[in-house]
Amino acid sequence: MVDYMLRRLGIGLVTLFGVAVIVFFMMRVLPGDAAVMLSGAGSGAVSEQELAEVRIKLGLDRSLPVQFADWAGHVVRFDLGESLRTGKPVIDDIARRFPYTLQVVVMAMLIAVFVGVPVGVLSAAFSGSWGDQLLRALSIVGLAAPSFWVGLLLILGLVWLFQWSAPLMWEPFWVSPWKSVTQLFWPALAVGLRQLALIARMTRSIMLEVLGEDYIRTARAKGLSEWSVVMHHGLRNGMLPVVTLIGFEVSALFGGLIVTETVFSVPGLGQYVVAAILNRDYPAAQGIVLILAGIVVLGNLFVDLLYGVIDPRTRVQAGEK
Amino acid sequence: MKPVDKSIDKQTLRRTLLKFAGGALAVVAGMSPGARAQSPKRGGTLRLSNGGDPPDFDMHQTSTYLSQFLGAPCYSNLMRADPKDYNRLLPDLAEKADVSADGKTVTFLLRENVVFHNGMPLSSEDVVFSLERIRNPAKGIVSPRKGLLGNIEAIEARGARTVVIRLTQPQPDFLFLVSNPFNVIVPKKVAEPLDAQGIGMKRQIVGTGPFRLSQSVDGQIYELTRFEKYFGPAPLLDKIQMFPIKGEVERSAALQGKRIDACFFFPNESVLATLRKVPGMTVLRRPTPTFINLIPNVQRKPFDDPRVREALSLALDRDSFIKTVGPLSGAFFHSLGLMPPGSPYSLSTAEVKQFGGYDTLPGLGGDLAANRARAVALLEQAGVPKGFKVVIPTRGDVPAFRDAAINVAAQLKAVGMDATVDIRDAGAFYAIETKGDFQMVVHSVAMGGSTADQILGEGYTSYGGRNYGQWKDDTLDNLYRQQSRELDPRKRGDLIKQFQLTFLKTYYQINLAWVGYGAAHWNTVQGWSALPDLYANMQLGQAWLDS
Repeated sequence: MVDYMLRRLGIGLVTLFGVAVIVFFMMRVLPGDAAVMLSGAGSGAVSEQELAEVRIKLGLDRSLPVQFADWAGHVVRFDLGESLRTGKPVIDDIARRFPYTLQVVVMAMLIAVFVGVPVGVLSAAFSGSWGDQLLRALSIVGLAAPSFWVGLLLILGLVWLFQWSAPLMWEPFWVSPWKSVTQLFWPALAVGLRQLALIARMTRSIMLEVLGEDYIRTARAKGLSEWSVVMHHGLRNGMLPVVTLIGFEVSALFGGLIVTETVFSVPGLGQYVVAAILNRDYPAAQGIVLILAGIVVLGNLFVDLLYGVIDPRTRVQAGEK
Repeated sequence: MKPVDKSIDKQTLRRTLLKFAGGALAVVAGMSPGARAQSPKRGGTLRLSNGGDPPDFDMHQTSTYLSQFLGAPCYSNLMRADPKDYNRLLPDLAEKADVSADGKTVTFLLRENVVFHNGMPLSSEDVVFSLERIRNPAKGIVSPRKGLLGNIEAIEARGARTVVIRLTQPQPDFLFLVSNPFNVIVPKKVAEPLDAQGIGMKRQIVGTGPFRLSQSVDGQIYELTRFEKYFGPAPLLDKIQMFPIKGEVERSAALQGKRIDACFFFPNESVLATLRKVPGMTVLRRPTPTFINLIPNVQRKPFDDPRVREALSLALDRDSFIKTVGPLSGAFFHSLGLMPPGSPYSLSTAEVKQFGGYDTLPGLGGDLAANRARAVALLEQAGVPKGFKVVIPTRGDVPAFRDAAINVAAQLKAVGMDATVDIRDAGAFYAIETKGDFQMVVHSVAMGGSTADQILGEGYTSYGGRNYGQWKDDTLDNLYRQQSRELDPRKRGDLIKQFQLTFLKTYYQINLAWVGYGAAHWNTVQGWSALPDLYANMQLGQAWLDS
């Protein structure tokens, strides 16, 4: 198992190196550069000479391999450089924004899992009933409704119904846990509804398949209660694909919260990465993509480990390998 | 230097000096009608959102309203626009301005006891440094408005309170140009070392304005706190909080949800229409010196041929453009000629109608079908084949670019051009534009003022910053210089008119519309009025909250 984990970590590091190379050169392939964006070339009053001076100042006049080696050398020392836009260390910018994104992701996934899985199980257990039909219809709405629209409805709805709106100053969780949770609940709900619907549908579909298996029939024949059959024999066996989906969605959410963050003005990573790319803020864009890639790699590793907890067979297979 | 009693532009200077004498009235002038009815209240926090994060804080280096809206309450200028009439100037840091008899020397007398937010006293050295920084920036510092001060020959500090500026030629608009809202005064001792490092004032705000930057968290909040040592009328608000909310719909939702009190930047009409229905909300739209032009690249064939450029102008239905693009981008306004709507230098209807396609401006009753038939004929004469491929690059994040380009491309199809739009992000678009690697662009051009020198100099001379089409025309440049130095207002008016008529005949740029931005605030926000210039009157020193 340890060998397996080390092997996965090794593959993860190679993946991260590949991501670093790709993101570095892709940023350079994009037309326009940081000098153009930083110098306000759109105002039309910036000469080529002034642009050249800005490029020298930013080190963009050096060859690409030299720039890459310089950046990579700093990265291995956990120095992601300074943002060209904010003038602050990228790691500081990310550290300040990461907790908000992490909290939204965690809360969204908690909503999605703790509502989505029971809904899926109930739907499967009472397949074909009016309740099942209703939950299926609602899950389609959840999938189809864009999170920005849900977010706007939530903001306006809260004002109209309760004369309440979330303040624009966000409190970090460690400063004021309750306030932070109440503030970020709404963006988490807006983004979590889609994940909830997805998980509910996946759970229902897997459970329907599992509940038709021979061992379920055997469990029922043994006289076990329906609760025990569904929860202990059905759900545990059906959870693997759902866990895979959850792992994938958590990874995707870290980089995909841009719209929700914009709607609720959450100062998270999504807005930062988009601003970095649009402004050709190379150190920031490279740094954040690398961090997000790291999260995906670790997320996948975590899901693999979770497989072992849920399904002992995978532990054995991993050990054999 | 001899004090002078003769004005460089009698009308302008008279108005300016009159306002200097009555500077105390500025407070009253800035108030909305509601504010005049009640006595202003002191205290409270005004919560604003006008868009995303300002890219940086350096007022001299930036061109975006996001930075200007943040910097305006913190900085002072030598003079500033009268909140009641932006064609007039009020004293700000300069207590007095004298212009020499030949119009070539301007002397500013600075106020006494002005201090920067860091406690340092203001001196004439700071003013000299700031103006030099704009017109002749250090290496690595970019100054997009250096052209505004291009007529300066020398700037000199005489004692602690006097600044003398010598001009190469008289310039009636000079006081307006030097008082451009972006041309703020920064402390030499703070800015100079930062400039030497190539950093500039991008992350610092140290001004003499009514508010000081007390908190700045990128992506979250920019907080300004009342500066107790402000030299002018005491600011009424305790604080101003600016929240970066990029999307218009999101800002509208935040406003309706009372998460913010006001937003001074709404281009989209559908957003404003929703807000107009909200009880207790004040919604307005005012023109600003921003125009949308079709700009052919004259270095590229066949756009070097004036017949082809005229055909482009003839193909365009400006009325339809305004009706279609206006609600999306705020391009609701039009003018007669090159100057902003309502300018005293506007051309007559008859004068404008003589140029191809301009009779389709709203209300001029042009015959679009006849125009387009003539456009087809001109293209044929110029040897442009039917189905000629034209690609219009544009930036996808701003409707005044994107939707304007889409509309123009669609209209050009009507005269047989196979026009398509290449939508890029801002970085890619400006890279294309800076290299001149395009056939034509539809460009929203935002000016930092409405004077003839500003609009014509920056927008319509060969050497102006906005000559994206890369044309060269000595006749126009000379005409511009003539009007710029003409002291007689009547003669100057004639020259400005002549410039416009000459320019319009070249079709180097084809004007489509003028932009006006919306603003909305709860009625509790008082003491602020919108001027027909986005950048003017954003100091908010006398804004207050009735709550």
